[in-house]
Amino acid sequence: MPTQSRPVDQGEARRALARRTGSQGVRGVRGSRLVERRAPRSLITASIAVAVLFAAPFVYLVWRNVELGADLGEVLGDEITHTALRHTLTLAAAVTLAATALGTTLAWLVVRTDLAGRRVWSAILPLPLVVPSFVGGLALLAAFAPGGLVAEVLQPLGIETPDVRGFSGAFTVLTLLTYPYVYLPVSARLRALPSSIEEGARALGRRPFAVFRTVVAPQIAGSVWAGALIVFLYVLSEFGAVTLLDYTTLTTQIDRAKLFDPSAAAVSSLLLGLLALACVSAERIVTRRRLPFEAVSTAPVRPAPLGRWKPVATGFMAAVVGLALLLPVAVLGLWTSRGLTGDRLGGDGVGSEGVGSAAWNTAWVSVVASVVTVGLVLPLAFLAGRYRSRASGPASVVVTAGFALPGLVIALAIVAWTLQTSVGAALYQTFPMLVLAYVVHFGAQALRASQVAVSAVPGRLDDAARSLGARRWRRLRTIDGPLMLPGLVTGFGMVLMSTMKELPATRLLAPIEFSTLATEIYGNAGDGFYARAGFRSLLLILVSGVLTWALVIRPQRPPELVP
Amino acid sequence: MSAMIRLASLLRPASIAPAIVVLASVLASCGGGGGDACAGRLTVYSGRTEALVAPILDRFNEESDVDVCVRYGDSAELALLIDAEGDRSEVDVFISQSPGAIGFLAGRDRLTPISDATLGLVDERFRSPAGLWVGLSGRVRVLVYNTDLVDPATLPTSALELTGPAYRDQVGLAPTNGSFQDFVTAARQQIGDAETLAFLEGLAANGAQSFANNTAIVEAVGRGEVPYGLVNHYYALQARRENPDLPVANHFFSDGDIGKLILVTAGGVVATSDQSDEAEVLLQFLLGAESQSYFSQQTLEYPLAAGVAPSGELADQPLAGISGAGGDLASLGGELETTEELINQSGLGR
Repeated sequence: MPTQSRPVDQGEARRALARRTGSQGVRGVRGSRLVERRAPRSLITASIAVAVLFAAPFVYLVWRNVELGADLGEVLGDEITHTALRHTLTLAAAVTLAATALGTTLAWLVVRTDLAGRRVWSAILPLPLVVPSFVGGLALLAAFAPGGLVAEVLQPLGIETPDVRGFSGAFTVLTLLTYPYVYLPVSARLRALPSSIEEGARALGRRPFAVFRTVVAPQIAGSVWAGALIVFLYVLSEFGAVTLLDYTTLTTQIDRAKLFDPSAAAVSSLLLGLLALACVSAERIVTRRRLPFEAVSTAPVRPAPLGRWKPVATGFMAAVVGLALLLPVAVLGLWTSRGLTGDRLGGDGVGSEGVGSAAWNTAWVSVVASVVTVGLVLPLAFLAGRYRSRASGPASVVVTAGFALPGLVIALAIVAWTLQTSVGAALYQTFPMLVLAYVVHFGAQALRASQVAVSAVPGRLDDAARSLGARRWRRLRTIDGPLMLPGLVTGFGMVLMSTMKELPATRLLAPIEFSTLATEIYGNAGDGFYARAGFRSLLLILVSGVLTWALVIRPQRPPELVP
Repeated sequence: MSAMIRLASLLRPASIAPAIVVLASVLASCGGGGGDACAGRLTVYSGRTEALVAPILDRFNEESDVDVCVRYGDSAELALLIDAEGDRSEVDVFISQSPGAIGFLAGRDRLTPISDATLGLVDERFRSPAGLWVGLSGRVRVLVYNTDLVDPATLPTSALELTGPAYRDQVGLAPTNGSFQDFVTAARQQIGDAETLAFLEGLAANGAQSFANNTAIVEAVGRGEVPYGLVNHYYALQARRENPDLPVANHFFSDGDIGKLILVTAGGVVATSDQSDEAEVLLQFLLGAESQSYFSQQTLEYPLAAGVAPSGELADQPLAGISGAGGDLASLGGELETTEELINQSGLGR
């Protein structure tokens, strides 16, 4: 096949093949992964079991609406529901666009250019993901709201700070805290991509941006989409920042009605779930045609020279990190320092007693939950990526859409389901149950990353190994494992950081007397113990930084760059 | 790196399901059993934050024969959880930050009546008439103001004045927050639904600014973003405790005004509890002199029992004058849907 000398054009070749052989695919044709084999029954069973698990919250929501006799028409006809729906969609779309642009740009700058200090940037850039959104919101208000720290400095200079409440504040905070959902998969993808074509394009005189647009963009599109969808769903479920910044969305409506008007809360939750299912299905239809690329490389990468744009790029990175990470850290530091000086309610002002066990709990449960999550969704990723199966589409949609449900809804759904049986009741509020809640909550992130990982393995490599007599286990160890590693580690990292800051499911489902940094941060902030909340938030960022570096960034360090 | 590769190579699709089962059972064995975690102890769900109540619960563990086992969380979430647990609930005592959350459980028949010996420790204004919950400490509604921007001589005597032109765009409130919802419920009982709605509509028409919660309002007043805010008295005191330079102060409305209502933190015994005697021991301890002094001096709240006097600035505002002039706080928690409707209807929080 002529295409074999042009590795990045595999997709095109397969499309051509698929056209020639009809839509039924190319069973048994060497060099293609497309619909080639029937999926093993065990894989289908495992995938369906996973999907059933993830469907549980949706089924619960339907049951809850029926049980409460919820009047869908009344809630849907209410003007405030329209406002909430409009706000939710506007915010989600705007944040997704901005975070996708930001995350992709940062990934390209870090992985592919001669920017200074790339290794440091790559360790710092994922970290905003771990900043709880209400902490980000508090920091934004403390700095930029009228009378805030930055506003006070700028006002004498005649500079008015922009309005930070409502849409603009929520948009800013969420964009800055969610871009890592795009940055992580895209940088992982870029690291696995051969730079030879880019170098060729540059040698032919293309400028860096043109190279990016014409050569790089088509290659990373799958990862960009994967991250963008996660951002979109995250914003649908977001609660902390929109509440704090006073922007009415479906989640704020669920919250205000949860006690006093449970049926209205049930309808809003169901609406959110249906919205997520619709959006994820639509995304599948839009992106279905695009086949996964297969180009991989372990060859040294030659960075694109930024030339006179270098200072601009560096300044841009510094601005992003400054706003998304340093600003919150500075505000948290200020709060912490007040606890060390002000009047205290017992103890040492920042309540350091017992904080070690909360930090340990946070780290331990997050690592376990991330490993289990990646492991559980992997069969589905294989099914969807390597085989043709009617089950894989709906299963992927359910797993992915679950991410848009607020944590409180997922937690209450799990409570309702587990307490149905005495076996479930025995597991209620145990460590495995908490891990299960995290799996259901964050499975979408791992699934998207795992799908990218599975598609990163060129079918012809595996087939070649098979024809040379390598058994399945050996192929996995020598081919699939190493090639999938960046994608899997990315999924692991995203779930890790999401779990570390998770709040409602942890509060309701953790074993009793099991506190995490996130539960302590929120509990303290709610009653004005900012010193304690600030101290714990700093610790959370520190712990996640260490874990991310050790488990996510270091293992997928790129091939050594050629100077 | 090679270790990670070896790890990744184990992730064979067919071997994953059994691996997960093995992993889960290992975790189950090291994570401890669920229902047994509090065996022999009194299980408490506390909507009051750990920093505020853990010290006094520790004292209870030392003083009494009963030990407590506590889950901390948000009052409304924990109330929903106890409701969802239903007959399988192993919770004995619910401590609520607000009357709304515990009133929700009372309305759902999830609480068991408390003995008269315990109920009798507090004035009947601060307990449920059906004896389902009892107030433990009190927070009073106040107007918090920025001391740099506001002349104390001009402060209003009634919350109703806040709908006037002098307060246009000047007042912060938290219309979706539980404490504001409880305040509105109390106001309804005092002045009726129609007048309450008119008051809320007046606030909305006067450009009242909405915030997420009490702490957010106090922060905003401290920055000068809004000069005034409707909050519980506790938050400005706590904010000043951490940041003595923060220019915020509490202003109390006149006795009998709807702006000067007390909202209790409360405790109740869950209906499915098999340790209701021990639960009462805990409630009585929390209403005893030591606990009430702790609430007065450490958590800066109103003590409700044992003859303990309020401390600090609360000492000048005796309980007798507050209460919302006979407002029947006991039925807070009932008909809360109407409260939510009134707030919605008024246009606040949109």
